[in-house]
Amino acid sequence: MKNLFKTKFNTACIVLIPTCIGINYLGKLIASTLKLPLWLDCIGTCIGAILGGPLIGAICGAANNLIYGFTTGDNITLIYALTSLGIGLAVGIMARLSFMKKTSGALLTAVVGGLTAVVISTPLNILFWGGTTGNIWGDALFATTQASGFPVWLGSFLDELVVDVPDKVLTLLIVFAIVKFLPNKLVSLYTSDDTIEKLD
Amino acid sequence: MKSISLYVANNSYLTKLHPFTKLLYIAAAVSIPLLSGRLWMFCTWIGVSLIILTSGKLLRKTFPLIAFSFTILLTIFLIHGLFHTGNTTVIFSIGPLHFYKEGVLYSAKIGLNILNMLLSFAVFILSTKPSEFVEELEKKGFSPRFGYIINSVFQIIPQMIGTMHTIADAQRSRGTETEGSLFTRAKALIPLISPVIAGSLINTRERAIALEVRGFGSGIKRTYLTDHPKSKVDILCRLILYAAILIAVCWRITLCLI
Repeated sequence: MKNLFKTKFNTACIVLIPTCIGINYLGKLIASTLKLPLWLDCIGTCIGAILGGPLIGAICGAANNLIYGFTTGDNITLIYALTSLGIGLAVGIMARLSFMKKTSGALLTAVVGGLTAVVISTPLNILFWGGTTGNIWGDALFATTQASGFPVWLGSFLDELVVDVPDKVLTLLIVFAIVKFLPNKLVSLYTSDDTIEKLD
Repeated sequence: MKSISLYVANNSYLTKLHPFTKLLYIAAAVSIPLLSGRLWMFCTWIGVSLIILTSGKLLRKTFPLIAFSFTILLTIFLIHGLFHTGNTTVIFSIGPLHFYKEGVLYSAKIGLNILNMLLSFAVFILSTKPSEFVEELEKKGFSPRFGYIINSVFQIIPQMIGTMHTIADAQRSRGTETEGSLFTRAKALIPLISPVIAGSLINTRERAIALEVRGFGSGIKRTYLTDHPKSKVDILCRLILYAAILIAVCWRITLCLI
């Protein structure tokens, strides 16, 4: 258990972070090119979290939103830096508890990551957007709950839930498929529990 | 290769201002209306941002940013105008749809807050070169490793988009359908995304070695290529902004005490 948050801050891990941020961007780009009703904007964060551990995942997530917020004009993402940080941390912890070895474990990780995102995003949604998320399916559900008199927080929670959990499930299945086939000489750069043996 | 940064190098006075002065402007523009809580305050700061953007010849570049969040603003207005839980007084109706005063006011506050944030950030984003901002942060003691992360994101993304286009063309020539029903499009996702991701992860190994060879991990104090001293205009702007924030805080405190 003591290795849960152990992180190597070597050059390899530092280089991993911008790559993961780039992957996040690509995921979002592909989702919008294929017009999928999901975000797919945290593939990189999850890869970072699985390879580098919870702390690298958290840094990937937070840096991702901060960089895009301050440079690409999509500054609403700034406040969701907290959500991304939470996803990175949650997925990283699940991976360190070796849940990412099997597909069923990957699904469980996805649910945990998705719920973390929902719990952190809902208050932010209510505060800044009055409860909407900007996703068509989720907002349609939000409008229905508001029309039938549910409180804003419950509507917003459901709005986020129906989008975030399927989104994270698909994300982590993609991540699981990719990480499984990465060459060992790459993965070993990031593992923190290796020991050095001396021959003399 | 097109950069993802929105920086406009038009050599206006805004680009010459110190990045930290513009950051302070964001802090003032976002915090003062929230502290005062008045709708006219939001409108005032939106006006100020628009004047600054116009004087910096950036107004035309601002419209795509606003258009981007316009649909979300519209959704908020519709949902809360029609269905907000505290709705009692109807102000106007379009056909069978009734818009209520409470919901419209609530959505106006959210909408103005978002618009205000967008415009004040636009002042910073459109007139600040990311690498210059990172360098100023590093001079203030920000870790050069994090500085590298930020700078390299701007180099990596155009590269990765290039790779993705190559892969998309290759997969299409092999018969992958990227248009059609939702299921067809979802099926295209894996063959498009996995080669780019795996490839860029494998590249990180070589990049790490290249950086290590050039002394990336060294702890010696670094020197900087350019120098950006604070001008008199910078100092004046900062004084005005600090004073404005201070007045807003004092006003809020006196309001609470009375």
